[in-house]
Amino acid sequence: MKKLGLLFSALMIVLLTLSACTAVPQTAAPAAGGESAGGQTTGSEAAAPAAEGGKLAAIKAAGKIVVGTSADYAPYESIDENGNFVGFDMDLIRAVGEKLGVEVEIVDMPFDSLIAAVQQGKIDAVIAAMQATAERDQQVDFTIPYRMTKDAFVAAGNSSLVIEKPEDAAGKRIGAQTGTVQEGWIQKNLVETGLTPADQVFSYERADQAALDVASGRIDLLLMDAEPSIALADETGLKILLITELTAEGGKSIAIPDGAADLKAELDRIIQELIDDGTVLKIQEANGLP
Amino acid sequence: MEFIQDLITTLNFILQGLWVTIGVTIVALTVGLLFGVVTAMLRVYGNAFFKRLAAVYSVIVRAVPVIVIIFILYFVIARFVNLSPFWAGSLALGFASGAYQTEIFRGAFQSVPPGQMVAARAIGMSRLQAIQSIIFPQAVRLALPGWGNEATLVLKDSTLVFVVGVPEILRRAQQVSARTLEPFVAYAAALLLYLALTLLTTQILQWLERRYRLQM
Amino acid sequence: MTTAPILRIEDVYKSFGETRVLNGFSLTIQPQEVVVLVGPSGSGKSTLLRCINLLHPPTAGRIWLEEQEITAPGVNQDKVRQRIGMVFQDFNLFTHLTALGNVMIGLTKVRKMHKQEAHDLAMLELERVGLVERANHYPAQLSGGQKQRVAIARALGMDPHIMLFDEPTSALDPELTGEVLEVMQQLAKEGMTMIVVSHEMGFARQVASRVVFMEGGIVVEEGPPAQMFEQPVHERTRAFLRKITDLDEGGK
Repeated sequence: MKKLGLLFSALMIVLLTLSACTAVPQTAAPAAGGESAGGQTTGSEAAAPAAEGGKLAAIKAAGKIVVGTSADYAPYESIDENGNFVGFDMDLIRAVGEKLGVEVEIVDMPFDSLIAAVQQGKIDAVIAAMQATAERDQQVDFTIPYRMTKDAFVAAGNSSLVIEKPEDAAGKRIGAQTGTVQEGWIQKNLVETGLTPADQVFSYERADQAALDVASGRIDLLLMDAEPSIALADETGLKILLITELTAEGGKSIAIPDGAADLKAELDRIIQELIDDGTVLKIQEANGLP
Repeated sequence: MEFIQDLITTLNFILQGLWVTIGVTIVALTVGLLFGVVTAMLRVYGNAFFKRLAAVYSVIVRAVPVIVIIFILYFVIARFVNLSPFWAGSLALGFASGAYQTEIFRGAFQSVPPGQMVAARAIGMSRLQAIQSIIFPQAVRLALPGWGNEATLVLKDSTLVFVVGVPEILRRAQQVSARTLEPFVAYAAALLLYLALTLLTTQILQWLERRYRLQM
Repeated sequence: MTTAPILRIEDVYKSFGETRVLNGFSLTIQPQEVVVLVGPSGSGKSTLLRCINLLHPPTAGRIWLEEQEITAPGVNQDKVRQRIGMVFQDFNLFTHLTALGNVMIGLTKVRKMHKQEAHDLAMLELERVGLVERANHYPAQLSGGQKQRVAIARALGMDPHIMLFDEPTSALDPELTGEVLEVMQQLAKEGMTMIVVSHEMGFARQVASRVVFMEGGIVVEEGPPAQMFEQPVHERTRAFLRKITDLDEGGK
């Protein structure tokens, strides 16, 4: 028994050492080329999410803005071989950080967790090719769009389908990424109108999984953001049938805590500035976006 | 050959998630062990109030998806206590595992023949001493097989902590998959790591089982 | 005898729910006495032993151990049990411990001895029951007789003032009872006060200072073995003793 006890003690020590090593690195701060110590949101931040008028000051006081993203969505956000966050959104948010005069710390999370995280003050903002839908707008606030978007209907390379307008997708087996605007559009315009049976609609955690199912013929169509679809179609031998604005709602915005008016005003100003001075265009080209 | 090369590159990248997975698993198992043993003791030896309390914990936690517990701990509880995603995720996983470990240890405690307690009391041990020195060491041995199974389940559940942004093995595989669009390589690498971890865990536990087997 | 009794049981009742097992049992035992308790099954013998060491506290009645009323409220029962050794029918050895470990654990955990001291004393107790060479065997590796001797050593380690034996040989194969009875006989010779629930009539005749026949939770008749076996007063005693003596001899 004594030996068993010893074993457990040893286990505890390993555990403590391990946790000391692993507690920090989940938030890579690629701008600094490594991890920033104490990379977590602090208790005081957590205790007062979206305090009226205080968010901007809090960020400036902390000297950094913690931004959540879901780094599986090239060319907007992904992680390169060295573990750095790369993509359009990443470049943009760093440019924003520069204008704000604070460091940018990027945190990777599943897309579905991002809204909750910003609501609870775990992160200061979300940049994840996210559109300001009405549902999301009830939970958080959004900046002005930093990029207007279009959607793409993607099909297998040998598909004979012809899609000239979004409604042509009626009755086809169609997929979209869970919780996205595209999924919402399918539900509202194809399922609820009775054009497509609910069991013909498939929901994927990630676009690349959906692409695989399109390629293998498990589904006929994938409705997704137009820009990443180009690279995706290219790599997986899929073809894009239609690029349209009709399924999209507005553009991509940065999400911030509900009621953080000062932060919104400042970010709106900076975004407009970056659009006007051509920075956004430069970033767009650098990331191979149309 | 190219596949092997890709696999090695991918493994290198995912390997950084290995320590996170191991850390999460060990914290969760240890927390679960504490919860499990204490709750099982309360359920078997406690008074009516504690028995009820322990039963409620075990039933409710087992009824709630682990992912919900992680969310609650990180997004609700962690508003009042400063918890990093790693700790929130690991503790939530441990809290959940504790409910399953409760059942494992409850069964083990109940499998120790009642004569053992009587004999321990007869030489003047208090109830607590008897549980500590006689019942618990036997129960631990009886619990080992079930506990080993739970350990591998927790290892696999450790993938869930990514919902609060902890980059463990599977998330790193997803990142690679999203970048290279070669999910097969990415998930093959993840599979290899999980396989290695599971084998290691079962080997250690089998060794423990052999080492501390109860001679009945 | 003029010495103070080591154990005084006065009008003890014990019920389990609706079932009344002890019905006003009284018995006084002097130091160094060996009392053999006989009676049909269900007569309350085992329950009596468990009342004495408070494993099952009496429902009513009082028990004194060496002038201390152990049934009084506020008595530290764990301390009382240390003074009362108990040996069970089915041994109840701690399965995760070796023979030595079984004897040592009470010494280290209850008597708070240091490990070395406990080890040495435990070895002495094992020597007393003739099992030194089995010290590192686990219970599963011991025969029934050896197990029971380890159980006796375990009880002796606590330095008890009185020993209770609850049918110590009835779970044993006949050829293994001898070694256990021998150890018990040796203990009696050394002056240990003992209460033995047993139907080993040979042992009772040779070792007992008194035989107590109980039935229905009370003492029916008691006396020295010679008197009890030769001229029991009560018909029930006579019938019972005849039955077990026949069995005893029939078995040989």
